[in-house]
Amino acid sequence: MAAPSTRASAAPQTRAGRPPGRFRLPRDLPRFALLCVLAVIFLAPVYWMLATSVKPEVDVISTPTQWVPARPTLENYREVLTSPDGNILRWMWNSFFVATVFTVLHVALCALTAYPLARMRFPGREAIFWFILGSMMVPGIVTLIPTYLMMIRFDWINSFHALIWPGLAGAFGVFLLRQFFLSIPRELEEAARLDGASSLQVLRHVILPLSIPSLVTLGVFAFMGSWNNFIWPTFVITDLDKLTLPVGVNTFSQRYVTDYGKLMASTAIASIPVLVAYLLAQRYLIEGLSTTGLKE
Amino acid sequence: MSLSVPGQEGTRPPLTRRRRRGKREGHPLSPYLYLLPFMALFAVFVVYPVGYGLWVSLHRWDLLAETRPFVGLEYYRNLFDPETPQSQFFWNSMKNTGFFTLVSVPLLIGTALGLALLLHRPIFGRALFRSVFFLPGILTVSVMGILWRWMFDNQIGLVNAVRSDLFGLPPVPFLSSEGLAWVPVIVGTVWWTIGFNMTLYLAALGNISPSYYEAADIDGATSWAKFRFITWPLLGPVTLFVFVTTVLASFQLFGQTLVITGGGPNRTTQSVMQYITEEAFANNQFSSASAMAFLFGLAMLVFTYLQFRIMARDARGGEEG
Repeated sequence: MAAPSTRASAAPQTRAGRPPGRFRLPRDLPRFALLCVLAVIFLAPVYWMLATSVKPEVDVISTPTQWVPARPTLENYREVLTSPDGNILRWMWNSFFVATVFTVLHVALCALTAYPLARMRFPGREAIFWFILGSMMVPGIVTLIPTYLMMIRFDWINSFHALIWPGLAGAFGVFLLRQFFLSIPRELEEAARLDGASSLQVLRHVILPLSIPSLVTLGVFAFMGSWNNFIWPTFVITDLDKLTLPVGVNTFSQRYVTDYGKLMASTAIASIPVLVAYLLAQRYLIEGLSTTGLKE
Repeated sequence: MSLSVPGQEGTRPPLTRRRRRGKREGHPLSPYLYLLPFMALFAVFVVYPVGYGLWVSLHRWDLLAETRPFVGLEYYRNLFDPETPQSQFFWNSMKNTGFFTLVSVPLLIGTALGLALLLHRPIFGRALFRSVFFLPGILTVSVMGILWRWMFDNQIGLVNAVRSDLFGLPPVPFLSSEGLAWVPVIVGTVWWTIGFNMTLYLAALGNISPSYYEAADIDGATSWAKFRFITWPLLGPVTLFVFVTTVLASFQLFGQTLVITGGGPNRTTQSVMQYITEEAFANNQFSSASAMAFLFGLAMLVFTYLQFRIMARDARGGEEG
């Protein structure tokens, strides 16, 4: 008689920890309705962005408010894309380029570093690991100004080098990959070693192929971090052609002030590639967050 | 049958054994070779700047000057001298940032937990809801800021449009009223970041064994009792993690206020990060700004240390597991 409950508790949890049970209509209707209302509220700003972006300037400020664009036009988009105040597509490319280079280098660097920290025995290993992890106690603002002064000396102001190199040695990536490498059974590595594989071959052919989920997770985080970086590029890049997307869009914000038709067109353009990427890769993002945020 | 070839028996087995061990251990220097690229960048861009920043804060650093005289703690003392504009603006920005943190952190944690509880049990369209609530988080801060500045525009923003067109109320000049200017910043931040904490809570809720609830059901527990005595305590570790990361993110408020309010009106929403960067890059007072950065870093140390402890605990757990 106790069978159903024991079976339910012993059953393995499904993906993303979905609890057993079903959606039952009368009982769950209020919850469903509440979620629908919240979803509408969450999406309202996005709708308003798109609606404003296709309105002619007069209709943006007309009262009573035009809830649905009466005379939709792409004029704002045309003006933003051909703006003499900066090339938004260029900024998008800059951001994409910088984020891609950063991500590849960061993941490779962290994998090379996490491997000996997780898998080799050598004097100073613990000290080095705790030293790296300890750097997470230093907030970015502390290194911002000295690093800026270094960029002047390196002649890296207005150079993509400034957007790539200073952030590469991030402790979180080493931490994340080391944790994952530790979870890989040692037997696999020993077997490869017995077959005469060098440590680099073990890394390439045993450790990395088994770590693809965590490498992808780190890659997604690194790409998002670089793409969304706002403070640092605001100060280190001033050349209009070299701005990244977030900073470039902000220059529009300062230039167009309350010309919201154009501003909404530029924010929509800036969001389209991110939205597409999100729809394609949200699984990695959300599962990565769920699994790396905390270890139970 | 033994292959006892004279002259080989004594040499071969030790040879293979030595080779095998040699391969397994690798060259004694190889771990350091792996670490070299990272440690080199780490030394140049993490360790050195901390020392350099401290040096700058103790000297009168001028971009154009030939000499950079040692001034000791002068720039730190200035921050505690109420006569200087620096101390006035710095502590004003500290107060603003503290206010933002105090208001936003409970909101950011509470709303995220609430959403996670709503979404945890099976529901039609669960994945779609989750995507919708996470969606704002992928927008970049300037997009989010411009959007919320527009939503709360003094005259014709969506919020005032709803007030006037649906309720016949006069417009509220959110962006230019002291105090009210926080509303778009805080509402926008909740909207923007709720998905991250919600996702962490959803994952943690999924890890709670249903048997606890079944046992509670047998005892006739109310749903509040189940939340209070099962869910909330078992969410403790996630809540700590979410709390620490959210506090740190709130302390480092920068983009939202810069884009939505510009720090105004009257510096009432100016964050510490905005003021430090203003002092450095607009006023070219790098030494003064460095001193503020160190003081601010010190103020955050409790939370950065907690974050370190959480990660250290996980790191040790990983070694055991």
